[in-house]
Amino acid sequence: MVTEKEIQHYIDKIPPTPAVLQQTLAFINEGDLTKAAKAAQEDPALRSYLKVLVNRPIYGFKGEVSNLPQIFGILGTSGAQQVLYNYMMSLLSPDSWHLFKLTDLSFHELQAQLSRKWHDILQYEGINDKDIESAITLLPASIIICEALFKGRQEEVALLRSTKALDYNTILKRLSGKDLFDISEDIANSWEMPQIVIDLLHATSGLHPSSDKTVDRLGRWMHLLLFFELSQENYVKAGLNDFLDFDIDYVEAIYEPFTTLMDIQ
Amino acid sequence: MRAVVKNRIGVLTPQGFIDGINAPSFLTLEDLHATEKLNIDLLLISLKKVIFFNRNGLDIFVKALDNLHSKMKIAVGFCDYDHKKYSAIMKFYGNKITFSLFRTQKIAELFVSSNKAENHDVLLYNDDPSQRSAMAIELFDHGHNPVIAQSQKEFNEKKQNKDAYYAIINDTYLGLVGQNIATRITGNAIIYTLNGFLDAEIAENFNISYHNNSLNVGFRLFIFDAYKVISMNIHALNFFARLSAAAAEYNATICFVGLTFEKTPETFKNDLEDAGLMFFGEMDDILKDKELLKELGASSAAMGKSKRALNKVIVNELPRFIEATVTTMEMMTNAKAQKKAVQVQLLDIELQEEKIASSIGFYGDIDGMIILVFPQAIAKKSCELLIGEVTDDMELILDSLAEFVNIIGGRVKSLLSEKKVSVDITLPRTYQHIPDLLEVIAQKRGVQVDLAFDDDSFTFFLTR
Repeated sequence: MVTEKEIQHYIDKIPPTPAVLQQTLAFINEGDLTKAAKAAQEDPALRSYLKVLVNRPIYGFKGEVSNLPQIFGILGTSGAQQVLYNYMMSLLSPDSWHLFKLTDLSFHELQAQLSRKWHDILQYEGINDKDIESAITLLPASIIICEALFKGRQEEVALLRSTKALDYNTILKRLSGKDLFDISEDIANSWEMPQIVIDLLHATSGLHPSSDKTVDRLGRWMHLLLFFELSQENYVKAGLNDFLDFDIDYVEAIYEPFTTLMDIQ
Repeated sequence: MRAVVKNRIGVLTPQGFIDGINAPSFLTLEDLHATEKLNIDLLLISLKKVIFFNRNGLDIFVKALDNLHSKMKIAVGFCDYDHKKYSAIMKFYGNKITFSLFRTQKIAELFVSSNKAENHDVLLYNDDPSQRSAMAIELFDHGHNPVIAQSQKEFNEKKQNKDAYYAIINDTYLGLVGQNIATRITGNAIIYTLNGFLDAEIAENFNISYHNNSLNVGFRLFIFDAYKVISMNIHALNFFARLSAAAAEYNATICFVGLTFEKTPETFKNDLEDAGLMFFGEMDDILKDKELLKELGASSAAMGKSKRALNKVIVNELPRFIEATVTTMEMMTNAKAQKKAVQVQLLDIELQEEKIASSIGFYGDIDGMIILVFPQAIAKKSCELLIGEVTDDMELILDSLAEFVNIIGGRVKSLLSEKKVSVDITLPRTYQHIPDLLEVIAQKRGVQVDLAFDDDSFTFFLTR
């Protein structure tokens, strides 16, 4: 089905971070949002992405926000870095979705929902770290990779899954020795994302609990957040509910605060 | 969400949070139609990966399950939950509960027919005496030995001795059972359990495809356990007469055990005997009489039906069968296949002691049987994807091989349907010893295709 060679081919094709983005991220790291906005101005696609994003209802602004320095000011350094990573991820997403019934819009909506709720979780946990805040952006990479590797193989996977309840991640791991999170790590490395992002991603898989207490706890939060989002009507319909394996025991310790935070009744 | 089917149990596994808004997305109309087409006795929704559900969400699932119960005449319910979830469901539905609740899938499996001749000792407790009795009867009917605890205290004491029981059944509730006839296997005999009044509905409730499959794969003794039959009418009599005539083609025997003629006309007995059926007073009269078993054919798995040649239709479809097999093998092993030889012949297997096999039948517009013979190494490799690790546990390998051949059967069915050829597939059968397989297919000729996967060889055989 999916071979190691195909996976390597996929990894080799991951584009490097565009120069404009590199520069924008560098200014954000220096805390200079004015220069970051100026750098971002050079990329029309990024400009448009940012405008559409911050004017979504989830951000709750009454009037239209269209000025880039204003947008960066609203987002702050943490928010700006997170949005830029989300943008980079969207560059990797396919022109059209086949395996999952998604659209650009619904994928961006998923990114936005995850980012927003992750922000609430970090606030609850009293964590103010822009790299940790950005870590959530790498999570949807697993969806993009899964789409790319399995899109022509729906029938084979359906047959396999009619006999055994295997999620895509397990199938990939058993076939190639590499899972979706390993490949996401390759993307993160290629884009020079901070190590904490990668560590958190692996902890989120539920397969590799971290020895670092903070990373371990945040990984559990992120695991539960992911499955909370993937239980939403649109993502169940899109076929995303069971593409990864949800581990209830893994999230037991943070389930109660999660339900309070997300107002689940 | 589509069901995973194993041992005639379909299991749906939603993940995460379930409420009234998202529940319909887990079970769409398309999913329900696909489920209706499954050949299953029990449909379950596993709550193993559900962390939250509310009444509204569960109501939608229950409604869907109720509909499937009515349409498919199968048992339905939930499984894989903890005590907290069990209590919540009981609180939601109280005494209006129509579906079943099985704490684990392993417990659920005890309540359905199995292709394996396994009788298990199980510990059973439910604080409702009528539930205790209902479950005990069902377990007996499926050939198990339930030890029934009469009180929570007795249950707590008995369950300390975990090793004494295959399963400990509690937090389990038996709802409406399926109306299909319960089936179990003892050695090479298949036992069907009948209840109440037998009329024209017997034809609907009897799983004829399972029966035909059993004939095809070599079973020759079929026993109707009729202790609980009150009477039968002429429609039921005609059904059994037809069944007996069909079985005669395979030199198979059909028996009734425990049938009384207080409310059934005595003349029916004569008519059925004329049709070839036999009558016995007690089950042990047959099962404990080795000579009689041999005479009735239950000591052998050999095919009795006259040999049928491959026909043009089936040969025309041969490339599809091979394609289905090869692509599935490639998928499971991640290796490329090479076709080495194709010949019409008797099944010829070299180095038999190093090989294992599996078979699956298909019937409908065309009928026949696919047999796959694997060197043990390639069988292990092809099962690794399903098992997730390298194993030498032969039972696990054979189980996975059955699932594997089921995938091939499913693929054949799908490829043939593209050509408007409609077939159903039977349950798979596995053979740890090649002589057992050769005994079943006897002197049948078929198309033998020798394939190579990397350095391993593999045999595909298609026969009727």
